[in-house]
Amino acid sequence: MAGSRIDDSPFGRWWRNVDRTTLICAFILIGFGYILMLAASPAVAVRIGASRNMFIFKQVMFLSVAGLIVVGVSMLSRKAVLRLSLLGGALMLGATALTLVHGIEIKGARRWIALPLMSLQPSEFLKPCFAVVTGWLLTQRRISRYFPGMLLAFGLFGVILMLLKSQPDIGMLTVITTVFMTQLFVDGLNLILVGVGVAGMIGAGISAFLLFPHVRSRVERFLHPNVGDHYQIDTALRAFGNGGLTGRGPGEGRVKDLLPDAHADFVFAVAGEEYGLIVCLLIICVFGVIVVRTLLRLIREDDPFVVISTAGLVTGFGLQAFVNMASTLHLIPTKGMTLPFISYGGSSAMSVALAIGMVLALTRHQPGERSPRGESMMNTLRQWRPV
Amino acid sequence: MAVSPHDYDAPPPVTRTVRVTGEDLRARAHRDQMHVRLLGVAGGFCLIFTVVAIKLSIATVLHPMAPEKRQIASQIPEIPKIDPKGSLAGDFSLPQVHRASIIDRNGQTLALSLPVAQVYANPQELIDPQDVTKKLKTVLKDLNEEETTRRLSLPKQFVYIARNITPQQELAINSMGIPGIYFEPGERRHYPLGNMAAQIMGTVDIDDHGVAGVERFFDKRLMSDHHALRLSLDVRVQSVVRDELATAMSTFQAIGACAIVMDVRTGEVIAMVSLPDYDANEFSHASNDARFNRAVTGLYEPGSTFKLQTAAMGLETGTIHIWDRFSSIPIHIGRFTISDMKSDHFAPWMTLPEVMAYSSNPAAAHIALDVGGKRQAEWFHDMGFFAPVPIELPEAARPLVPHQWGISTTMTVGFGHGMAEPPLSIVRGTAATVNGGILITPTLLEREDAATAAPQEAALSQGVQTAALEQAETDTGSAKADSSSDALPTPQGPRVLSEKVSALLRRLLRLDVTSGTGRTAESPGYFVGGKTGTAEKIGPHGGYLKHVNISAFTGIFPMNAPRYAVYVMLDSPKPTPQTHGWTTAGWNAAPTVSKIVSRIGPMLQIFPDTAHAAQIDASMAIPMHPAVPRGVRPLGPGNDPGDPRKAEAEHRAAKAAERKALADQKAALKAAQKKQAQEVMDE
Repeated sequence: MAGSRIDDSPFGRWWRNVDRTTLICAFILIGFGYILMLAASPAVAVRIGASRNMFIFKQVMFLSVAGLIVVGVSMLSRKAVLRLSLLGGALMLGATALTLVHGIEIKGARRWIALPLMSLQPSEFLKPCFAVVTGWLLTQRRISRYFPGMLLAFGLFGVILMLLKSQPDIGMLTVITTVFMTQLFVDGLNLILVGVGVAGMIGAGISAFLLFPHVRSRVERFLHPNVGDHYQIDTALRAFGNGGLTGRGPGEGRVKDLLPDAHADFVFAVAGEEYGLIVCLLIICVFGVIVVRTLLRLIREDDPFVVISTAGLVTGFGLQAFVNMASTLHLIPTKGMTLPFISYGGSSAMSVALAIGMVLALTRHQPGERSPRGESMMNTLRQWRPV
Repeated sequence: MAVSPHDYDAPPPVTRTVRVTGEDLRARAHRDQMHVRLLGVAGGFCLIFTVVAIKLSIATVLHPMAPEKRQIASQIPEIPKIDPKGSLAGDFSLPQVHRASIIDRNGQTLALSLPVAQVYANPQELIDPQDVTKKLKTVLKDLNEEETTRRLSLPKQFVYIARNITPQQELAINSMGIPGIYFEPGERRHYPLGNMAAQIMGTVDIDDHGVAGVERFFDKRLMSDHHALRLSLDVRVQSVVRDELATAMSTFQAIGACAIVMDVRTGEVIAMVSLPDYDANEFSHASNDARFNRAVTGLYEPGSTFKLQTAAMGLETGTIHIWDRFSSIPIHIGRFTISDMKSDHFAPWMTLPEVMAYSSNPAAAHIALDVGGKRQAEWFHDMGFFAPVPIELPEAARPLVPHQWGISTTMTVGFGHGMAEPPLSIVRGTAATVNGGILITPTLLEREDAATAAPQEAALSQGVQTAALEQAETDTGSAKADSSSDALPTPQGPRVLSEKVSALLRRLLRLDVTSGTGRTAESPGYFVGGKTGTAEKIGPHGGYLKHVNISAFTGIFPMNAPRYAVYVMLDSPKPTPQTHGWTTAGWNAAPTVSKIVSRIGPMLQIFPDTAHAAQIDASMAIPMHPAVPRGVRPLGPGNDPGDPRKAEAEHRAAKAAERKALADQKAALKAAQKKQAQEVMDE
């Protein structure tokens, strides 16, 4: 499958140097996204009174655009990725601020801006851009001594924090915070400070529990399974139970028809009912491969900007997948977060595509790169070639 | 995966000496630290994804949460179980129906549920609604094609196509294999005997819950127990009674009629007919008048029938005796005059047998006055005339009873006016006077006393045998009498009369038929006893209507060993040439009772005994002018404690006030009755 080295066209070079495994994994997920949208969305569409194929047609469009974004962004140079992040980040930061004034209010939160054809959630795009910008800021402070990278990063984080708290979007806030923390951790933050950061996150979580009634109700429902309304999560678990090992078969799911948000937050349950344990494990594996493999590959990477940015990007990606699957499986309190590439949603699909595209662009093998060598255990790992 | 292009770039495995600055060293240390921590992050992700995978395995395979039945109903259809509890009972329970059958005392089916199906569609799953409709039309002949096609094209997920289709039709539609067409099992109540006991049966609603009659009263029982509900009714008797009553109703052009046959010892209602009636399968199309069960819901002034109660009350309280005499001179009280029909030409003073046989209103009023209003009210209360008659029908009506019990109420109630009672209540009260003085509870259920059921069977066969033997040998009559009296059940209930008074009342009732107003009720060999009752109807404006009567006859047979009460009531009968212009009970209701007794007697294992007629009649006879025992001063001229003229003189002032109150109360009662009357009169 490797292109011939003689092929010197830009596409040939890109194909040789890009992380093809991750690329293929991303397209596998897009494929699952198509199939599950066929299964999950008609019931929801009919329930909200739209045409039964509305979600399918829209998602076909979104996923096509997402595929183009993945390929397109993965062709950019590192510098272009940074520029894109700075520019896009600034734009999306402004747009996020705008949601507070001009946003569409859905279910008590202002997160969306109405655009023709779709509504846009700018904070989704902010996430990958922020990861790259943070990576750059944290690296830059080591290169030029007087560059207040850490301070700027924290300042930026603070602004985003305030914006997301005002929307409110506690889920996104948690993910961005975790991404930021992970980046600081990878950057080599003192372990004591890491501990302080984790403690701070726990404290913030407790205060969110006390401050936001919807957060409190969800956590309490999670902690006390016998009290309150568990219709959603019970229905999701019944869908998994109905699926079993091999699933009911395509289009044969019945519990899915009763799942609220079957096409978005609970799409994993639809996969469980129709395709069973085996395919669901496959989906987890694909996510795991993208995240873990990329992180391990970073060990061979020397450019701290690439390491920190990419670590942030895949952390955000992996965390989003985890939160979605775990809340569908009642491992954590329900949190409205999409399953990357698989859940319905334009903003989600495109922002995830942007993140994966950036990962692919940053981890693309740079011709002429020569890495210094050491004698540590890391050395062994660097020789390891993940397939 | 194929060979990676990185392999070509692999660094040469030789060590090189490189110069490193402090800056480089720091950067390298930083890089190493970064790489270790990346490993940590990767490890963290491995961990959380593993947890998700484990939880996923638990949720799907290891400990799956079963979906609710309704969630996967269309995926795993319920497999019908045939009689899972083995509760099939009799020949009338069918598998897959929930509601028990109703049968009469001989096992004849009165109501049963048939398995049917409702056919519905999910239009979202249909491919071509027009084609589907065309196919369905071949099985469901009365399907409206246009309408069905329209409904099947609606953007809905559930549309009924037809209700209550037969299993054959269901099978035929199912065989077509049309996707999106489903069936819902159901059942439909069917009354195979149509008009028979329609008002008693009542009906069920579309969800199979009883909404009237015994269907409603026994709703829970019918839904929970698969055994057929056995009623006390006997459809053979019911059929005869309905037949005779319908004939009488058309002969006398009555606007309504009702009849009851009740066992005076057990309270079992053997037949209960209310005309006009309707086909029980067409309840929804029946008129209110047809649905109206006159026997328990209709309230009528009992008229002279109530003189029996007055006499029983007087005798039981010891106020009067068989030899006492009562004034039949018209009584004037307020605006009202209590008198007999001018044509009667009664003697001014009548003995008790005469009062009963010829039915004198003023005399009955005098008896009531002698007993007194307070004791009279207590008596009627104890006889159950103040409460709805206890019967297993939700339609049992509350009687209309005067609120104030003044002197005029005492008098009018004494001869059966000023109070309105359902016919079954009258039958119940009459039963108590003849069965030895026990107030039994009427019931529509067959007595579940197995111990008495067996002897009855024995008596049955024995009875037939003896009847057959009797034709050949006329001397075994005493044996038959013995065997039948052995089989008679003992009445259960509170005692309201002594045996002695009951025996005396039996003779008085027999006297009414042998030589009184009820002569036409006689049925040879059955020794019918009874009391006529003709009440003038109250018109729409409150006043009594002359010549518009409720004429009723309450008969008992055989009077020497009372077994069954037969009540016939005709509402507004017209005079015919045969009745010489009369519309009183003796001319229409009493002959109907006679015909009914002659026909149902043999069905009820009671055979006419003409051989011993003289002997039995002699034992039942009572002189019209019984001798006064020595040393007793009988009531009569000069000894009339309840004479209103006396009272009037004493309480003239008090009465002036009371009269007004009475008039008001009477008006109020009439207003209440007016509705009743209108309901009956409207037709």
